[in-house]
Amino acid sequence: MAMTRAEFVKATILTGAAAAVLSGAARRSRRRTDYGDPAGEETVREIQALSAVKADESEDLLLTMQRDLARAMGKPAERRQWGMVIDRRKCVGCHACTIGCVSENKLPPGVVYRPVLTEESGRFPDPRMQFTPRPCMQCRTPPCVPVCPVNATWKRADGVTVVDYDKCIGCRHCLTACPYGARTSDFGHSYRAGAALGAGKDVDGALQGRAASYEEQPNHEYGKAWSRAKHGSPIGNARKCHFCLHRLEAGQLPVCVTTCIGRATYFGDLNDDMAVITRLVRRERAEQLLAHRGTDPSVYYIS
Amino acid sequence: MTNEINPRNPISRRKFLAGGAMLGGGLAAAAVAPAAGSDDGGQRRGNAILNSGRPDADYDLAKAENTLYSACLQCNTGCGIKCKVQDGVVVKIDGNPYNPWTLVPHLPYATSFDDALPVDGAICPKGQAGLQTAYDPYRLRKVLKRAGKRGENKWVTIPFADAVAEICEGGTLFKDVPGEENRHVDGLRALMALTDPALAEQMAADVKAIWDEREKAKKIARVAEFKNRYAAHLDKLIDPDHPDLGPKNNQIVLAWGRLKDGRGDFYKRFAAALGTTNAHGHTTVCQGSLYFTCKAISEQYAGGKFSDGQKFYWQADTENAEFILFVGANLFEANYGPPNRSARLTQNLVSGRTKIAVADPRFSKLASKAWKWLPLRPGTDAALAMGMIRWIVEEKRFDARFLACANKAAAAAAGESSWCNATWLVAIKDGVPGKFVRAADLLIDGQPLKVAEKRRTNDGKEFEERFLVVMAGGKPIAIDPNDEQTPVFGDLFVDTALPDGTLVKSGLQILFESASAHTVDEWSEMAGVEPRTLIEVAHELTAHGKRAAVDIHRGSAQHTNGFYNVLAWMSVNILLGNCDAKGGMIAASTWDTKGKGGLFKLDAHPGKTTAFGVSSIRHGVDYEKTTLFAGYPAKRNWYPLSSDVYEEIIPSMADAYPYPVKALFMYMGAPTYSLPAGHTNIETLCDTAKVPLFVASDILIGATSMYADYIFPDTSYLERWEFQGSHPNLANKVQPVRQPVMAPIPEECTVFGQRMPISLEAMILGVAERLRLPGFGDQGFGPDLPLRHPDDLYLRGVANLAFGEKPDGSQSVPDANGREIEIFLQARRHLPSSVFDPERWKTIVGATMWPKVVYVLNRGGRFEDHALGYKGDRIAHPYAKLLNLYQEKTAGVIHAGTGQHHPGYACYLPILDFAGEKPDELRKGYDLALITHRVITQTKSRTIANAWLSAILPENGILIHPADAARLGFHNGETVKVVSATNPDGAWPLGAGRRKPMEGKLVVTQTVRPGVVSFALGFGHWATGASDVTIDGHVIKGEARRAAGIHANAAMWTDPTLKNTCMLDPVGGSVSFYDTMVRLVKV
Repeated sequence: MAMTRAEFVKATILTGAAAAVLSGAARRSRRRTDYGDPAGEETVREIQALSAVKADESEDLLLTMQRDLARAMGKPAERRQWGMVIDRRKCVGCHACTIGCVSENKLPPGVVYRPVLTEESGRFPDPRMQFTPRPCMQCRTPPCVPVCPVNATWKRADGVTVVDYDKCIGCRHCLTACPYGARTSDFGHSYRAGAALGAGKDVDGALQGRAASYEEQPNHEYGKAWSRAKHGSPIGNARKCHFCLHRLEAGQLPVCVTTCIGRATYFGDLNDDMAVITRLVRRERAEQLLAHRGTDPSVYYIS
Repeated sequence: MTNEINPRNPISRRKFLAGGAMLGGGLAAAAVAPAAGSDDGGQRRGNAILNSGRPDADYDLAKAENTLYSACLQCNTGCGIKCKVQDGVVVKIDGNPYNPWTLVPHLPYATSFDDALPVDGAICPKGQAGLQTAYDPYRLRKVLKRAGKRGENKWVTIPFADAVAEICEGGTLFKDVPGEENRHVDGLRALMALTDPALAEQMAADVKAIWDEREKAKKIARVAEFKNRYAAHLDKLIDPDHPDLGPKNNQIVLAWGRLKDGRGDFYKRFAAALGTTNAHGHTTVCQGSLYFTCKAISEQYAGGKFSDGQKFYWQADTENAEFILFVGANLFEANYGPPNRSARLTQNLVSGRTKIAVADPRFSKLASKAWKWLPLRPGTDAALAMGMIRWIVEEKRFDARFLACANKAAAAAAGESSWCNATWLVAIKDGVPGKFVRAADLLIDGQPLKVAEKRRTNDGKEFEERFLVVMAGGKPIAIDPNDEQTPVFGDLFVDTALPDGTLVKSGLQILFESASAHTVDEWSEMAGVEPRTLIEVAHELTAHGKRAAVDIHRGSAQHTNGFYNVLAWMSVNILLGNCDAKGGMIAASTWDTKGKGGLFKLDAHPGKTTAFGVSSIRHGVDYEKTTLFAGYPAKRNWYPLSSDVYEEIIPSMADAYPYPVKALFMYMGAPTYSLPAGHTNIETLCDTAKVPLFVASDILIGATSMYADYIFPDTSYLERWEFQGSHPNLANKVQPVRQPVMAPIPEECTVFGQRMPISLEAMILGVAERLRLPGFGDQGFGPDLPLRHPDDLYLRGVANLAFGEKPDGSQSVPDANGREIEIFLQARRHLPSSVFDPERWKTIVGATMWPKVVYVLNRGGRFEDHALGYKGDRIAHPYAKLLNLYQEKTAGVIHAGTGQHHPGYACYLPILDFAGEKPDELRKGYDLALITHRVITQTKSRTIANAWLSAILPENGILIHPADAARLGFHNGETVKVVSATNPDGAWPLGAGRRKPMEGKLVVTQTVRPGVVSFALGFGHWATGASDVTIDGHVIKGEARRAAGIHANAAMWTDPTLKNTCMLDPVGGSVSFYDTMVRLVKV
């Protein structure tokens, strides 16, 4: 039997995570709320993108959302409310978002911000297959935040829960606190570690070997440079999806949005009545995953 | 984990963690002071995202000077890519928004670089992982020479120039290899026996005369004449008694896997310069019979016969169709391809504008979005199609107006651009449809229906036009199919005798009778689909006018009956009259790069020797015409209607039929891995008597290049040029350009005085320099038009693209402005001068074209704006020609295995071997039909290098229905071995004593038809980094990840007659991928 819509939104199987260790994950944080996030005028961005490309009703959804993004970035950060809608009817289960995210954020083996879960149901000759991308839900009451012993993770005014790797001590409490399994640990692994052993790093050799390349370049999370070269942060840290805040700054949509070949992922400012995402949330039956947990995700699903 | 002290955190992690453990986990938290960094008020905040002690950093990936547009080649969809460079390294690949593959509609071409910059188009996971192909630790940097037996994977590095010299001059090249101490290898110089262009041209003409001679005695006489005439030159021929085998040059065979224009021009120029007719691609391993059936459909009536068919096919206009039946096509994972087609489909599916049905034995991701899934039985595509044809005709739900158009004028009058021959009369002899009736032959009261006319063909040859015949209102009338003046609408269903007694039927009548061989219920039963479903889908197909289509791919084509499966489905499309219609079937449209506009004539090849003779795969000529004709069955199949027959290239060498081959070049090909029964190729490649010299061009030691004598390292798709072309699901006229976006991995060499990375081009240029081959060097394209460096060809190709196809230059692109030129130069600052030298580039294309070339390269190619792809309800770049529902040319070809004529119309054929027998013996005791499928994370042989993709699907499995699993006592996840009648061992014999069992894990699932098992292609490697290799005495370990999963191609049937290759489609050339019966054995 196919999973009903009600079953879907309650299905912990979809989260890919062990059930959250902390019950009552949505309890109020007693921790500090002022993390000194940039706010006000200094966060206002005048984004020129697409200024010379005429807006058109039939334009690609990606362009419309990019215009929405530019509008949102024209406001101070605290007046934005980032949200995401994933239309499972349009998701083709391709994992472009998963890999896009791995590549954009130079995630090592074991660290995944946006898996896509495939479920099969039904019986021949009427089987069913459904795909569920699962980013961080950017909960309005994030259970991962209050458990952090060092205040290394917090929820920004714009709705995104962030991690300061330089503060994170890698204790993994937040991993178990998240009912969605949205956080993973960075153990410092390399995708090339097992390749061409014996070839050395000698660039005059017959083979390329594991000469420095893409993995050694710093990533750009949170607008900083995080290099893996010297085993510094974020190695050893908890890592999670951050809606590509560093791309938003540059007027670019999160990479899981721009890589979506089925255009199933919508993104924008839920405070903006004109934004595609806001209209969609109001029009369609958009549901939150594990809504009964009270985490109040900023990510919605249409099924 | 690290024990390093974090300078911004006063407590070391280890110390903290230790403390935390003592204090009991989370409770420790409160004891820790907030780390430093949140109060750095005075610091510059470039990004204003995170206030911390760590300084803000620029986002390099959003900068113009780090952005280069190119075209992907992780699969042949060839999406436009946007490569982002960080400190000289390509670190991120996204979609090129100028390119219609990744944004729908794509950005207008005139959009400035800066305006387009923030827009990332969408590409699939493989495309994004492509940088792992380019930076693969197993990439080759130096030329390797074999130092052990073939397949032993022992190599030595060798200087580029030495390798070129050895290949050209031959000798006892492998005297250090045990067993080959005295083996002499002929070099290319010796094999290039015929180098006199005038002599070659004469000989070629005389060989053609031998072929055109129909009488056996006269043919023999012509051969004798030939030998007399060229008595002084017989040593240049492979076999003087069979001059039509051509010169010894033909014993050099150039083969390839994935080759696109540009590189194709280079490689084919190399073949032409060597004087060999043997340049063969891989088409038949992909969807050959789709191409060659459509070629047969597109043969044009000219000069009284049918010729000039295009090797191409049509696909559905995904963006505008209201209903599409996909057969053996899975556009969410393959099918040319996921980014361009998914983006055009998903919203329409949700809005209800488009509905789809999917016929496939496996429930694909595409099927999961379909209104109907038709789990047809493998190989019964034509049965399903014939059932629909019968129903559509009986219910009169075909496009009668379109079908009645008998000539071009009628098409115009009916508002159509293409027309078909459904109404033309075919003569029936002994109940068998043969040739079309010619009006000049039809005598009525002693007078021909129309008197023959003397006419000239386009190339000036005189011929007699005898005209064709249709019935109009029951009366025969003569037609000229190409007549643009007088519309003729013919009667659709004709079954009668002409006044002279000739029995005739219309093409449509013949099709209907073929479809009437069984009832709809019977056809449904054969296809394994419910009759009700068949009718529902046929009803839906015929309920949307021209905005409905059947879109097929390799699932239909890759059977022994592939040609007729494809023809059956294309016949359905013809019944729908959807060709060239918006929402119907469309053909691809690409911008020329070879110099159509007259700027640089890249086809010019001064001094080349005309190649002639039977090709090594026996294509393009009727068996009966050649001097090798010796009755039926022929030793191997002949392919007058197809080309690029991959499964014949190496096995034909094994049989030395039509002749022995002395040297094989393989570029970017892995036939041993990709072909069904590919292991048969390994045996031949390991035999130095059958393949005396084997040279491969590859980016690493691959599944086939590992058997080579020399491997020249190649540049990957991110380091080189090509013109990717288009696909027939895109209406716009386009030409994506692949260009170097990263510094090459292979080391540099010097050829013709030029520095360049070792690559396919360098190998060719090196041989050309040494052998002074025509068409290369200072006068390569003609006076003052050198071909000494790859840039000489590619940049001129880009200039041609920028110039356009009109000689007056009116189609030229604009000049790049100063800002764009600055970006262009900056974005290539990480490329060495051997690749990018602005002065060299500018000199090659000239100062006038330079800013236009920059304009094109800054956009990753040339792309027509979206709206220009359509004109009202029609495609702006239509096919606009004759479609052959009935194929006189096909009907005239005789099956070399059986001696029977091929049918000239759509029909259902069972699975047959080369002898025309049903493989019932091979089926006995094997109860499961083996098929394959594609997952989006792998492209057959070349994407296993991408570790990111392995993380998504570490290994494939064998999909099996729960009922079969239960019947056989198997459970999910159990490891089993795949065995078949032609591979009872269930293993790959890899040569040099190695073997790899075909073992994989069962995936028990409701998503596959009972009785069918399927595995995804792309796993179970034995090379490509999966095995240890020894180079210069050092062992380089293989990576276990790459060997994971199963590749069961070796279980696919070897043809019981041919014995050294897979089963095949004798007409369209396709390999049989989905016809084998196997058994699963517990391991």
